Amino acid sequence: MKRSFVASTFDFLSSRLPIEKLSFKHMVTEKDVPVHRMSWGYYVGGLALFFFIIQVVTGLMLLFYYEPTVSEAHESVEYITHFVTMGALVRNLHAWSASFMIFCVITHMLTSLAMKAFAKPREITWIAGVLLLLVTFGFGFTGYLLPWNQIAVNATKVGLASIDQVGQYLPAALSHLAEDVRVTIQGAPAIGQATLSRFFALHVVILPLLVLGVIGLHLLSVQLHGMSPGIEEKPVRKEKFFPFFILKDFKEWGIAFLVVFVLALCLPFDSLFPYPLLEPYNALGSTPDGIKPEWYFYFVYYPMELLPFWIIIVVMTTANLGLFAAPWIFKGASHKFMRWIASAIAAYLIIMTLFGESIYHAIKG
Amino acid sequence: MLELFLFVGLPYAATIVCIVGTVRRFKYDRYGITTLSSQFLEGKKMLWGSAPWHIGILTVFLGHFVAFLVPGVWQRLMAIPSLLTIAETLGMAASLICLVGLIVLIFRRATTARLQKTTKLADFIVALLLLGQIALGLMIAGGFRWGASWSTGTLAPYIWSLITLGPDISVIRDMPVIIQAHIVGAWLIVFIFPFTRLIHMITVPIHYLMRSPQKVVWTNPRRNASAVVARADQNSRRHFIKASLGLSAAGLLLSVGVLDKLGRFFQMPGLHHDEEADLLETRLRRLQLTAEEKQLELERLRSNEIYVSKLSDLNGSTGKYFIDYAMRPGLAFRSEDGWPMLLSAKCTHLGCTVGNQVDANGKILCPCHVSYFDVKTGLPNEGAPAKAPLDRIAWIVRDEQGAEIATESSRGSRTGRIDPQMAEYYSLYIVRSLSAEA
Repeated sequence: MKRSFVASTFDFLSSRLPIEKLSFKHMVTEKDVPVHRMSWGYYVGGLALFFFIIQVVTGLMLLFYYEPTVSEAHESVEYITHFVTMGALVRNLHAWSASFMIFCVITHMLTSLAMKAFAKPREITWIAGVLLLLVTFGFGFTGYLLPWNQIAVNATKVGLASIDQVGQYLPAALSHLAEDVRVTIQGAPAIGQATLSRFFALHVVILPLLVLGVIGLHLLSVQLHGMSPGIEEKPVRKEKFFPFFILKDFKEWGIAFLVVFVLALCLPFDSLFPYPLLEPYNALGSTPDGIKPEWYFYFVYYPMELLPFWIIIVVMTTANLGLFAAPWIFKGASHKFMRWIASAIAAYLIIMTLFGESIYHAIKG
Repeated sequence: MLELFLFVGLPYAATIVCIVGTVRRFKYDRYGITTLSSQFLEGKKMLWGSAPWHIGILTVFLGHFVAFLVPGVWQRLMAIPSLLTIAETLGMAASLICLVGLIVLIFRRATTARLQKTTKLADFIVALLLLGQIALGLMIAGGFRWGASWSTGTLAPYIWSLITLGPDISVIRDMPVIIQAHIVGAWLIVFIFPFTRLIHMITVPIHYLMRSPQKVVWTNPRRNASAVVARADQNSRRHFIKASLGLSAAGLLLSVGVLDKLGRFFQMPGLHHDEEADLLETRLRRLQLTAEEKQLELERLRSNEIYVSKLSDLNGSTGKYFIDYAMRPGLAFRSEDGWPMLLSAKCTHLGCTVGNQVDANGKILCPCHVSYFDVKTGLPNEGAPAKAPLDRIAWIVRDEQGAEIATESSRGSRTGRIDPQMAEYYSLYIVRSLSAEA
């Protein structure tokens, strides 16, 4: 007899969130970490969390001085950078650590994919992780606008305008829908105060709250299920999570902090852009040369420049759905195959991020 | 006379006795250079006595030693108020810790019958001497503050004068009795060094810090069986303690550095009033710009026609930017026949603002993704990222009296006639009623 929907849902949930394992003994004393050649992947998620903590702390510090209005935003950022004691350091920490966080989150996704860490019973961990990945990109996109300089506003403009492009593929009766969505996100037909207010609210309140919730679920299910084995064979050696692994974790955090702190002290994030892009946004002037998104959007930006837009839509939608559905799509896949897939994605991301611009110029001349 | 004996005679005598005695003992009583470990006679109080005592006394000793060894360097360091505070606090805390440890150890000796069997008179003399010395030290630290700093100019020269065989007690002579007592106590400890358990210092087993711990136990079969497990356990605990000590030390250093840098973030930056004025000026300018922008917006909401330019100021090579009814940038040109040409400057690809310089082919460029638009038709070039032409913007030309001369709707239909000779007297407006939205 077929079991009822409610009963099978209950079964699914109770095996995915085994609350009976919610004990100190299970989650601390007995937790093991397998040791094998891909063990380094177990550190990346923790590092992402660490960078997120830095983001929260430095972000709160920046809030002390930042003013989210069209006329004041750029000035207040300049004020932080040039007048507040160590303000430049805090801002650079926020900028560098953001990049590191995104790098870690992507790497974490790839290593989890390669280790087939989403396999039963860890589907919920994986889905929460994919959500966190998307939210992280949301952080990047919304935070980029806040300094309200030329590159920030113009790049956001370009980013949002790509929503309009979807309209051309919708049936005539719905074709205005895309534009409506964009205007709703912007809060006004053109980017302005409404957009800044919305992005500010998203960046400092809504997304952080979202992250806190989802990260709670993510970490809880990691603790309940323990580390995923990561490889097909039985691991030869296991390491106690407490006290061994956690100390190594902290050590990595310390090194990471040193790196990001020294970088923030020595190399202003701004120095990677030519000055005209950092001038206050001029709504009436023309768009300056060299507008592009942050490096972590290159993998979608350059293809978007080169290929017909419908291809981008199809690929992006497939990729997103594929990410969410990975636990079911790759249910029977071998670890070797997953390593292949992850390597292929990694290769694509690296090539597009490092050489996307050159490829674009080579093709477009 | 007494002073000469206490501060010159005693030190030299003590040093000679110490050296000769130690060498002698090393030669004839090599295996007696020890404290005679009593850990297996009594272990519990031992931990709470011995550990704090040794940690405390080593810290205090190190402080004295460095200050006397390199007084110049030390003095320069102590000139920094925060370092001086740290040194004094550390020193006092360490003395308190070793005082507590020593009291526990004395209490332990006094209350454990087993221990008393192995305790000699010399042990009590050492204990009392050390206790007195620490108490004196604490009293000096409390009564004559900042000894870490003043000792470099007083006690350090005295010590060095003894070492360089030119004893000079002029400074010591006038010092408070309590400090003099502390000095004499120190020489007494040096004096009795070779005859007591203090001598275990020279065989300090530093490598014990690195090796696995050993514990002296009574053997019996049951213990033998569990020994291996115990050892493994100890190992992991040792690893944990070592690693967490290292991490906390590193963390402490990191946070001191970071807090030193970031703590000041919250203080009000002390700006010169010139800087403050410049800052205010920039802010005011930005506010004015915003106000102007709002003004433009209001104007576009209220009025049906908006002035762009005098017709004669326009040309065919460089466009004049203006803001259209949708608050988007527009470009105004004038063709050879004298008629104005108004285009939206918002790229139909991704909304960048199109440039205003017309090239040799009569095209303007959107710099974002390289689309060329024809100025006359607004059409993008073949293969450009932009597919749709730039919007035309409806306009009206009026003469000086405000009479309507010519118009063009956003669909391109024209009315009226423009006389190029009269361009100087004509003004160009964008007009809402002729635009597509209207």
